[in-house]
Amino acid sequence: MDEKLPRSEVIETEIPLGPVHPAALEPYRVRLFVEDEIVQEAEITIGVNHRGVERIMEGLPVEKANALTEKICGICSNAHVWNSVRTAEMALDIEIPERASYIRIIMGELERLHSHFLYLAHGCETLAHETFSMRLFYLRETIMELLAMIGGNRVQYGCGIIGGVRPRCELDDAKIARIRTDLDAVETKLADFADRFTSDTIVMSRITGTGVLPQKQALKLAVTGPTLRATGVANDVRVDMPEYEPFDFNIITQEGGDVKANLLIRVLESFESIKIIRQALDNLPEGPIVDRTWEMVDSEPVHSYIEVPRGILYHSYGLEDGKVRSCVIRTPSMANIGAMQYAAIGNHVTDAQLCIVQCDPCFTCTDRAIEIIRRD
Amino acid sequence: MNIVLNPVIINSVIAVIITVLICLVVSTFLPGIERKYVHARIQQRIGPPVTSPGIFAPIKFMFKENIEPNSPVSGLYKALPIVCFLVVLCLIIISTPQLFAIPALASIVAIVGLLKVEEVCYVLMGALSKSIMSLPMPFPDTIKGAVHRDSERSFIEDLSAKRSLRMIAYGSFPLYLALFVPVTQARSIFLPTIVSYQFTHGPVLFTASGIVGAIVFFIGYMIMLNEYPFSIIKAKSDVIEGPYMEYASKYRAVVYITRGFLMFTLAALFLVLYCGIPLFGLGIIFAIIAALVFVLFMGIFSAFTPVFTNKQLYPVIVGLSLLGVLAIVLGLL
Repeated sequence: MDEKLPRSEVIETEIPLGPVHPAALEPYRVRLFVEDEIVQEAEITIGVNHRGVERIMEGLPVEKANALTEKICGICSNAHVWNSVRTAEMALDIEIPERASYIRIIMGELERLHSHFLYLAHGCETLAHETFSMRLFYLRETIMELLAMIGGNRVQYGCGIIGGVRPRCELDDAKIARIRTDLDAVETKLADFADRFTSDTIVMSRITGTGVLPQKQALKLAVTGPTLRATGVANDVRVDMPEYEPFDFNIITQEGGDVKANLLIRVLESFESIKIIRQALDNLPEGPIVDRTWEMVDSEPVHSYIEVPRGILYHSYGLEDGKVRSCVIRTPSMANIGAMQYAAIGNHVTDAQLCIVQCDPCFTCTDRAIEIIRRD
Repeated sequence: MNIVLNPVIINSVIAVIITVLICLVVSTFLPGIERKYVHARIQQRIGPPVTSPGIFAPIKFMFKENIEPNSPVSGLYKALPIVCFLVVLCLIIISTPQLFAIPALASIVAIVGLLKVEEVCYVLMGALSKSIMSLPMPFPDTIKGAVHRDSERSFIEDLSAKRSLRMIAYGSFPLYLALFVPVTQARSIFLPTIVSYQFTHGPVLFTASGIVGAIVFFIGYMIMLNEYPFSIIKAKSDVIEGPYMEYASKYRAVVYITRGFLMFTLAALFLVLYCGIPLFGLGIIFAIIAALVFVLFMGIFSAFTPVFTNKQLYPVIVGLSLLGVLAIVLGLL
């Protein structure tokens, strides 16, 4: 299947799923237009959980605004606060200590691991394969405990601050040893899972060729993150981020853009994340973890892009009297909504949620950040 | 008057009532056993208390306030779980030797007919349920830029009804083929003859056609119970609870009890048809063992398989039906 074209002219029935649906982790509504249980078109509507974080941030002192960004998303809270402080650091021309940068990388990659495990578990749950799902949640649990050990919380660890990381996120020898041990165990179990998952013929039959997103369509829809890489495009912002320069890792790609490719790419990326964390632990520089010598100055809006588990996260704001102005946040799920709608077309209704889930949606994250356009 | 007061009939009625009560009590544990000792054990979690899904959940629902279902014929919709329960009750009664004296009931035709009633009930439940999950708003609730603004909105339970109809048409076919495997050996559709044939010739289960038939019966058992991976009429990823969506209070309690009861009843039927052991005396113990074995294998099978779509379901049903036909042919040889 090279390209699926929506058949707008012939629609038999509309089946609404959501905004409250057990297969959807978040409140969004999907209108499926079906003929004989085959989806001809799909329409995703968000806006149920809108909070307008950007507007709240405007006028707040930058430190408070940074803390607020952490509340945008529960899954990638560290990514938001990291990108927000990164934006402030770019605006204020702050160079953070090398050790702080390494700790941020460790936190970021641990967050990627738990996010990918959540994605895989949710995918298996949508497939109604509860056993795989539960085992992945156990794997994720180890990572969550590591994050709690470093940041003090299972979610919203508040690691990044302007100039470095919080003192409580300092890594001593005991913490480093535990991270190493737990990562070894996670890696072994993940490899075991990957082996069992790919050798399960029934599961493979369900996910191979389901929810295909061709590369051409993915580029047209400006899809980002692992969803784009699952179509064969080697695009990863981490390559361009100076923070990742000392690390050796591969950009994982898959072919096909179907559910199988999307699931497998997250598994393989998890191995790469473990590799990056190990390198960071091996070469963790000595020294301070925060630089407090910076001074507040006004600045024009600056733009910061980082690679988070779902793709490219964009934060932008300027500073005026130490307060945030002109704030814009764009989450990767915003870019991937088109892919979710497209992937569902031509598939069975039972697979529609799976096709949406394969793009790793985080609608509450997207919802909270999106701007309402006033009609005047 | 004399017939009613006949001690044999009175004793038979009492025996049947006691048997049914024992089976009903045992059957309430089966969903809990499946979830606690099979699913939870496989998934390395604690799981619910063994009495929770089959006993305490129905008791809890019995005392809940009823929410009137949103259905065009709510009276019929509410009656359907009770009909299902009565069907299963009839099936369990048929399995007792006391009923063997009534050939019209103690036959494969009666069993097939009753199971078909059960399946038709699912179709009606799906067609009559109009839950709030798909209820249109009293105002246009399409977003700006929506292509289809006036499309006909369907309830997700309608999908369940259509799928139930498909299951009647072909999905449950393997189970019915498996029911006829003992008939081919005993050359009779009547249960007394099938039982007596096995008494003299040994259980059908230990023949080539019996082994193949038992495999088909087991998969048919899972299909009839709408268990993963065959739970297309109540797949969580789209139709959620499907036909049962609108049941609350005591009606939901009946749904839960009926499911456990059907788990036991089909295992008891298997014992009668494939081992020649009717549901009485020691036969009850054997039926309990058979029910536990069925639940164990069903739990293992469902824990390791995702829900099927048509792509997987069609070949599985065709393959099983062919196996069923093979079992029948082997039985006829």
